[in-house]
Amino acid sequence: MSSVSNSAAAVPERKSTAKAQAFKRGILYALPDWVMIVVLFFVPIVLLVYMAFSRWSLLGGNRGVNFPDNFVKVFEHKLFWPSIGFTLEYTVIVTIFLLILGLGLALIVQESTKWNNVLRTCFLLPSATGLASASLLFYALYSPQVGPLTKILSALGLVQEGGSVLATGQSALWATIIVIVWRFSGYYMLLMMIGLQAIPGDLYEAARMDGAGTWRIFRSITLPLMKPTIVMCLVYCVTGSILAFDQFFILTKGGPNNSTMTVVQLIYNFAFDSKKDLGMAAALSLIVLIALVIINSIQMRGMRDNTK
Amino acid sequence: MAFNKVTRALAGIAAAAMLIPLAACGGGSGSTGAADTSDIPAKGTDDGTTITMWTRSPLERQAKGVVEAYNKSHKNQVKLEIIPNDDMEGKVGGATQTDSLPDILAGDVVRIPYWASEGIFADITKQIDGLDNLKDLQQGHIEAGTVDGAKHTLPFITDVSVMVWNKNLYKEAGLDPEQGPKSIAEFTEQAKKIAALNKDGVAGSYLAGQSGGALVFDLFPSVWADGENVMNDDGTEATLDNDSMKAVLDAYKELANTQNGLGAGSKEETGATWTAPFANGKIGVMPYPNTSLNDIFDAEKSGGFEVGVTPIPGTKEGKTSTFLGGDAMGISKDSKHVAQAWNFLYWLMQSDTQKEVFADNGYTASNIETLKTAYDDADPRIQTINSTIIDGNGKTPKSAAFNEGFNAAGSPWQLLVQNAVWGKSDLKADNQAVTDVLAGN
Amino acid sequence: MTTPLWKRVIARVLEALLAIIFVSPLIWVVVSSFSPQKGSAQSEGWGIANYLTLFGYQEGLPKYLFNSVIVSLVAVVFSVVVCTLAGYSFSRFDYPGRNLGFMVTLSILMVPYASLLIPLMVWFKDIGLNDTLLGVGLVITLFQLPMSTFIMRNAFDAIPKDMEEAAMVDGCNSFQALLRILVPVVKPSMVTVGLLAFLEAWNNFMIPLYLSSSAKSTLPLAMVNMRQQTMGVIDYGATEAGVVVLLIPCAILFLALQKYYVKGFMAGAVKG
Repeated sequence: MSSVSNSAAAVPERKSTAKAQAFKRGILYALPDWVMIVVLFFVPIVLLVYMAFSRWSLLGGNRGVNFPDNFVKVFEHKLFWPSIGFTLEYTVIVTIFLLILGLGLALIVQESTKWNNVLRTCFLLPSATGLASASLLFYALYSPQVGPLTKILSALGLVQEGGSVLATGQSALWATIIVIVWRFSGYYMLLMMIGLQAIPGDLYEAARMDGAGTWRIFRSITLPLMKPTIVMCLVYCVTGSILAFDQFFILTKGGPNNSTMTVVQLIYNFAFDSKKDLGMAAALSLIVLIALVIINSIQMRGMRDNTK
Repeated sequence: MAFNKVTRALAGIAAAAMLIPLAACGGGSGSTGAADTSDIPAKGTDDGTTITMWTRSPLERQAKGVVEAYNKSHKNQVKLEIIPNDDMEGKVGGATQTDSLPDILAGDVVRIPYWASEGIFADITKQIDGLDNLKDLQQGHIEAGTVDGAKHTLPFITDVSVMVWNKNLYKEAGLDPEQGPKSIAEFTEQAKKIAALNKDGVAGSYLAGQSGGALVFDLFPSVWADGENVMNDDGTEATLDNDSMKAVLDAYKELANTQNGLGAGSKEETGATWTAPFANGKIGVMPYPNTSLNDIFDAEKSGGFEVGVTPIPGTKEGKTSTFLGGDAMGISKDSKHVAQAWNFLYWLMQSDTQKEVFADNGYTASNIETLKTAYDDADPRIQTINSTIIDGNGKTPKSAAFNEGFNAAGSPWQLLVQNAVWGKSDLKADNQAVTDVLAGN
Repeated sequence: MTTPLWKRVIARVLEALLAIIFVSPLIWVVVSSFSPQKGSAQSEGWGIANYLTLFGYQEGLPKYLFNSVIVSLVAVVFSVVVCTLAGYSFSRFDYPGRNLGFMVTLSILMVPYASLLIPLMVWFKDIGLNDTLLGVGLVITLFQLPMSTFIMRNAFDAIPKDMEEAAMVDGCNSFQALLRILVPVVKPSMVTVGLLAFLEAWNNFMIPLYLSSSAKSTLPLAMVNMRQQTMGVIDYGATEAGVVVLLIPCAILFLALQKYYVKGFMAGAVKG
C-alpha cells in the first residue's frame, strides 16, 4: 500500500525525534476521524451485537440476554426467506439494467461536444435528486388520480382503469425499478465514462485501421478494458440494491400482501411495525451486515484479480 | 498489507468499545421517567401551559374541533399533531426511544392494550375513578387501557362502523332508497343490483383489501351480530373460522366475482383512500366509519348525493352490531405537565363538554348519557349511529398483539381476507396463522 | 466523420428523446405543483395554493427547512473538516496505525446504515444526542467519511512534498502549512466533499426516520409524513409542491457545481 512504511531499518537520533513528531501530528490530524469512528461506528456495532443477543422490545427496553432466541425467531419468521428472495430478485434486475444503461449512455456521450454536454446534464440531473424525493415524485406520477402514467397505461390496456401500477406485486416491482433506473442511470454513466476515458485512443485507431467494425471494437477493446470499471459499478450497485429501503418504504410499504418486502424493510418492520422488537431487528441487522461483508469481500477479490 | 495486524487491532478496539455501552445500558431504557400522577387536583390545572397531543389522521376533523373548543375556553393551550394512521406505531415507538412522547397520546383503541401493557401511559386510576359520570363513559376505551386493574385511558373520539348506502344510486337501480340491507344476504343482493347498473366507475360495494384496520372495522360487526366471536376472551386465540365469518367473506367473494361488484382497487386498497370511493358517489352500499360521514352530510346539503345509514346486520335479520372504535387517550409517561393534561381529559369527560363539542356538531359523543339526551334535534341518521352504541351490542376487541395480528400491513388477518375474497381460501389454516401471532409466537 | 447524415440525424433525435424522458418527470412535477387538481388546495386555476398548504403543514415549512439546513450544515462542516484533516494525516505522515486508520475508515462502506440505526437510537439516548439535529448530522457525516477521506487523501497525494517543506523551512508548523499552502490547492476537492455531504444530508430519509421526532423532522421525512395526512384522501398537490421544494436547491447546486461533482467521481474511481 505504501512505500514509506518499511524504512525503519537503521534510525539515527535526529530522525527518531522527527519520527516521533510525525507520529504525534499524524495521530492528531486523524483524531477527529477516529473519534467519529469509535463513537458512531464501533460502539453501535458492539451494541448491535449486544442487542441482537438480548430481549429488547421497542417500548419496554432491555430485558436481559436471551441468545439465541432472536435469531431463531428471525429465521422462523414467515417473511424472512421471501424477503431475501425478493431482495435478490430486485438486485439482479436493477443491476442488469443499470450497468447496461450506464455503459450505453456513457458510450453515447463520451465525446465531449456541446450537444453531448447537454445530454450528460440531462442524464445526470435526476441523480441530484434524493431517493426519497424521487420516490415521492413517482408516487404522484403513478397515482391514478393525478399522474398521467396510469391513463397512458390503461389506454394501452396494460393496467385496469382506475387501478394503480403499485397494485400488484410484479407491477409494483417494475414501477420501483423504473424509479431507481431513472435516478441512478446518470450516476453509473458517469462512472463508466471515467472508465472509458482511461482507454487510450490509439487502441481504437489501430483497430479501425485493421478494419474492425463498431461492434467488434466494442467487444474486443472496450469491454475487456472496461472490466475493472464494470466490476466496481457492480459492487456499488449490488450493495446499494441489497440495502434498498427508501423507495419501497415510500412507494409500497412492502405491499401488496408483503410481496415487495425487502430485507432492510423487514428490519424496520420488526422494529417499529409488526413485532416492535429491537432485539429481532438487531439480529436481522447483524445477519445483513455479515452477509454484506462477505458479499463485498468476494466482489472486492474479484475486482483485485481483474485489475492485475 | 498485514491483515492480521488490522484484525487484531480492530478486535482490541472493539473490545474496549464494548465496555462503554454495557456500562451505559445497564439500567434498561423502558423504565425511566414515569410521570408522577400522585398530586393531580381532581379537575387538573389550568395555568396557561402548552400541552402537546397526538392523534391519528382519520379523526382529524373531530379532534381539531375538540382542541379548538378547549383552547378557546382555557388558559392552557393544546398543540395537536395529526399522525398518519399507518405511521402511528412507528412514531410512538420512536418517541419512546427519544423520550419525546406528547403530554397526551390518543391512539386507535385496538392499539391501546399493547401500549398500556408496555408502560407508555401514566397510571391515572385515582383520577379516573374520581369521575362522577364514569359509568356513562365508553367502557371499551377505558378497558383497553386497563392493565392489572390500573387504568390509563379515557375515550377521546368514538368512531363506529355503520352500513351506508347511496340513495341516488338505489333509486336508479329501482331499489327502495329508504331501505338499507337488513341482513348480509340483502346486502349482497342490493350491491349486485347497483353493480348491474353497469355505470362507468360505479360498483356495488367496496372493501379495503390491504387495510387490516378497515377490514376488522367493516367485517367484525356482522360476526358479533350473530353472537359469534372473533377471538377468545384473552385475545390469545383467533376464532375467525366460524360460520358467520365464512358467510360474510363468501358474500364479498360473490361480489368480487360479479362484474362491478366491488369497486376498482378494492383488492389493493391500503386504507389510505378507502373512504373516498363512497364519498365520491361511486359505491352503492358498504360498511363505513361514522366519523367520515360528517363530510358527506355536509356535501349533501350543497347538492351531493343522499346517503342512508343503518346498523351493520349479521347473517340473520334483526340482529345488528358495530365496532366501537376510535381513539382512546391517556397521559404519556414522558409528560411533564400531568396536572394540565388531566385538566383536558377531565374537561372532555363532562356531559356539558360532550354536548357542546360532539352533539352540537353532529359528532358522536363518548358519553352514553349525552348520546341519549342531547341529540333530540339531530339528523335521524345521527340518532341511528348513536343507537348502535346505546344498544350495547357493539364491541371493542382487546388483544395485546392486535396490531400485529390484524392491523399491521401484511398481517395474517389481511391475508386471510385476501385469500377468502380474491384467492383460494383455507379459513382454518389462515385462522391458525392469526392465532400464532395472538398467542405470541 | 464518415457516418452518413441521415444516421446522424436519427441518432440525434433518439438521443434527444432519451434526454427528454430523463428530464420530463422533473418538468412534470414542477408544472403540476402549480396546476389545478382535484383533491388539492389548488383545485381551480393555476397558483401557489399547494405551496401554502405546505407552509401551514403541522410545524410549518420554515421549521422543516430550518431543520434540514442545520442538518446539512453540520454534515458539510464536519465532513469537510474531518476528511481534510484525516486525508492530510493519511497522505503526509508516516506512523504506525496510519494504514489501519485508513482501512477502518473505508470499512464503513461495508456496513449498511440500517444496521447501525437500531443501536444508534439507544446509544444516542445514553450520550444525550437523541432527537437532536446535531446527532442526525453526525450520523450522515459518518457515512460520508469513507468516500470523502479517500478523495481528500488522493488530493493531498497529488501535491508534491516540497511545497509544504519549503513552507516549513520558512518557519511554518505543519498546521500553518496545511492552512496556507495546501488548503488552497486541495480546495476543489474540499468543494466536492462538501457538495456530496450536502446532497446526502439534504436528501437523506432513513436516518431522520429512525432518529428524529416530528418536531426535528427534516424536509424529506416531513414530506413523506404529509402525504398521508388525512385518511381517505392523499393531497398529491402538496406532495408535488414538497418535491419541488426538495429539488430546487439540489438542482441549482448541481448545475452550478457539476464539474466538482464529476471530479469527485474521477478522484474516487481512478484510484479505486
